[in-house]
Amino acid sequence: MKRRSWLLSGAAAGGALLVGWSVLPARSRLGNAALWPPAQGEVALNGWIKIATDGAVVLAMNRSEMGQGVHTALAMLVAEELDVPLARVRLQQAGHDAIFGSAESFVGFLPFHADDREPGQETLAFRGARWMTLKFARELGINITGGSASVADAWEPLRLAAATARARLLGVASLRWKLPVAELTVSDGVVSHASGPRAHYGNLVEQAALSPPGDVVLKERAAYRVIGRPAQRVDLAEKCDGRAVFGLDVRLPGMVYASVLQAPLLGGSLASVDADSALRQPGVERIVRLPPLGGAGAAIALVGRTTWHTREAARSLRVEWRAPPSGALDSKRIEAALEAAARDAADHERGFAFHSRGDSKAALAGAAKRFEALYRAPYLAHATMEPMNCTARVAGGRVEVWAPTQVPGLAREAAARVAGVARDAVTVHVTYLGGGFGRRLEVDFVAQAVRVALETAGRPVQLAWSREEDFRHDFYRPAAVALLRAGFDAGGGVVAFEAHSAADALEPRWMERALPALAGPVDAPDKTTVEGLYDLPYAIAHQRIAHVATSSGVPIGNWRSVGHSHNAFFAESFVDELAHAAGADPLKFRLDLLRHRPRHAAVLTLAAQKARWGRPLPPGRARGLALHESFGTIVAQVVEVSLADRRPRVHRVVCALDCGVIVHPQGVAQQVESSVVFGLSAALYGRIDIEGGVVRQQNFPDYPLLTLAQTPAIETHTVASALPPTGMGEPALPPLAPALANALFALTGRRLRELPLAPLLASI
Amino acid sequence: MNLTINERSVAIDDAQTDPRMPLLWLLRDVLQMTGTKFGCGVAACGACTVQVDGAAVRSCVTPLSVLQGKSIRTIEGLGGAAGPHPLQRAWVEHQVPQCGYCQSGMLMAAAALLEANRDPGDADIDAAIDNLCRCGSYPRVRSAIKAAARELAQRRRASRP
Repeated sequence: MKRRSWLLSGAAAGGALLVGWSVLPARSRLGNAALWPPAQGEVALNGWIKIATDGAVVLAMNRSEMGQGVHTALAMLVAEELDVPLARVRLQQAGHDAIFGSAESFVGFLPFHADDREPGQETLAFRGARWMTLKFARELGINITGGSASVADAWEPLRLAAATARARLLGVASLRWKLPVAELTVSDGVVSHASGPRAHYGNLVEQAALSPPGDVVLKERAAYRVIGRPAQRVDLAEKCDGRAVFGLDVRLPGMVYASVLQAPLLGGSLASVDADSALRQPGVERIVRLPPLGGAGAAIALVGRTTWHTREAARSLRVEWRAPPSGALDSKRIEAALEAAARDAADHERGFAFHSRGDSKAALAGAAKRFEALYRAPYLAHATMEPMNCTARVAGGRVEVWAPTQVPGLAREAAARVAGVARDAVTVHVTYLGGGFGRRLEVDFVAQAVRVALETAGRPVQLAWSREEDFRHDFYRPAAVALLRAGFDAGGGVVAFEAHSAADALEPRWMERALPALAGPVDAPDKTTVEGLYDLPYAIAHQRIAHVATSSGVPIGNWRSVGHSHNAFFAESFVDELAHAAGADPLKFRLDLLRHRPRHAAVLTLAAQKARWGRPLPPGRARGLALHESFGTIVAQVVEVSLADRRPRVHRVVCALDCGVIVHPQGVAQQVESSVVFGLSAALYGRIDIEGGVVRQQNFPDYPLLTLAQTPAIETHTVASALPPTGMGEPALPPLAPALANALFALTGRRLRELPLAPLLASI
Repeated sequence: MNLTINERSVAIDDAQTDPRMPLLWLLRDVLQMTGTKFGCGVAACGACTVQVDGAAVRSCVTPLSVLQGKSIRTIEGLGGAAGPHPLQRAWVEHQVPQCGYCQSGMLMAAAALLEANRDPGDADIDAAIDNLCRCGSYPRVRSAIKAAARELAQRRRASRP
């Protein structure tokens, strides 16, 4: 039996990506029946799949649904290999075993250049690092929904788990009917033979649980009936009738509500609080002082009968906050310091060089023409529609937590730490998330809720932030500055590219908060600071991409697409500048530098073709384009824009992409639409200002977001691919800002090097 | 006081509430009807939209004191015994929701629009649907509203004698 051969299905000739898999026995990724809590009428065939006696399929769902469609995509993998309709798959929250942990998102942290990672041509160094990281990640078993990695993580194990289950069920039927497996067919979860016998999975599962699988074969792509086909999202109906339960919707008998007040100054602490008046308000029960917990600063919680009663009463709290000893933060000062650091790094070759090739200094010195530009991006808020919240109950030595979380295992750790219990004494229920975008990779709201629950005498308490608290106590997308340089040779070719950037390193800070066991005494270089700059696909012989990791004190975290969110704007705007300086068409200029990158060239060409690049537009309109790879997915976008009264109007965004094998086509389209709208809000309006240590933006009126009326037509075009799936949660976001800025340049002749763009246009 | 919510009379215990309490919190925290969502508390996002006498109203700023004698409809009452509202059917067919948190408000704003305007054009939809969505469901909201308007028109034609 070719034990390992099934692992190569879907990867065609390469197989190179699966070095890691062949070291870890595949069965160890399947887990076993003991991972499931006992349930009547359901039989587990491995750690992922149960079959109910009525034939329903139960999938252990280890990822959080925050709109990205992961519940549906993962269920589709199982429906495919088990030959059941998607509607027959039921989801049950997975436990905390290591088999449910993340791996691809950790591989995503590896600082390898695109040259080393090209699928089918990976270098030995990358393969080795990837193997080590996968092994390490599998041991740790940390479960993160993020990094656009869920489908990539699930692609092998879920299909294998389902195919193994199917093989065992067929094996039982084969033995029972004394007919060869090869002659049995499965349709709709019913196994049958042409000569008559039929049985649905529920009739076979008890015996199947006792039998080994024998030969397991994953389906060929040509045989797919679910993967790659239209499918209705599994969460649709309940999101249209009010039944879907988000974190804020958890309702339990005897539950009380808590509002939170945090120091208006970032890093501030509590000096004194006079709660006499507040505690006398109707519906208010008690006040709880919260020390800094899980990344949150000092805070006060007011517990009462409803959210409203506690918010009302909070207004009569008399609180004195103490400023942090380091002084009040100021984003303008920070941004000026970032600019100085970037310039210094560029002029004196400082910073940590994440990528170096040739001799960029000499090449620039000898270049026929040189260009330099400074690019800037501000702090940004996540602004999920559902504000931060968590419900917790501490009773009888056990802790129960209901959280809209992207990190159930880390939430469990935080809850255990705060309550002073072993992690086995904690149960985490993951609800739907009203948006994540990386904000719910944090455990601050979980730690706060558990801390309050320690004082509510065993009653569950729902701790809910106001929108103002949410805006003012985010973990912001860091502000970043990059000084970019390029040189042309006498023939007009780009020979050198340098990027020297400065921004806070966010991953070490995130680790300190969420994964303290892994945080080291010294910050390791954080590749997310330069992702999108150091790994450009363009053929430029001499490069230096270096970064100065600053430490401003502003709470920062992962924001959808992380470093790519600003670096793509920097890089693709600058490449556009070079194209225009060379008198070249921006499309052709890029294609000339992508001769050795057929996948990138194909995506760019598709976007241009669908957008009718080069064809005339109505007067007053212009197009801009951008290409960017992130999280393994290549995306190109063409934006059509006009200006009226110095206000931009985006008419159309054409998006082409290569994300490997597509599991849920509508899901991919939804993520493109999502990224474009999210990206336009950020590109046009997004900025967080910190003045006197306080975040100025407090609620939606201060933080404009794109509305339905402003939304362009959005088109999604995909390149057919046989490579394993890569993510779509984030990759369509980074190219949006540069494509828009490039379009505005084509329209106005004015190069915009700072985000957000709308205020700059107002002064044209 | 008594309120009419989804065509039923609901007795509100004055000891549990306050005439200043916004309808949103009565619905969510007192009546445990969590379909209507909290997004901002300042009527800027529309997640809390319900219908009051047919009009779209932001319940986070609407105190109980002004609701006596009015008819309130929430997302829980949008569909009926006969099945989902055509908007809900269109929402499913066009795969509108992503995270779904804003969708109750979107649907109620859309319901109010269709009750006031049977055949809304793009400009009408632009003006009436200013709910915020962070997931980018806007293009599908627009298509679904038009589809539901078409279905309602068909139903009206079919039921004419």
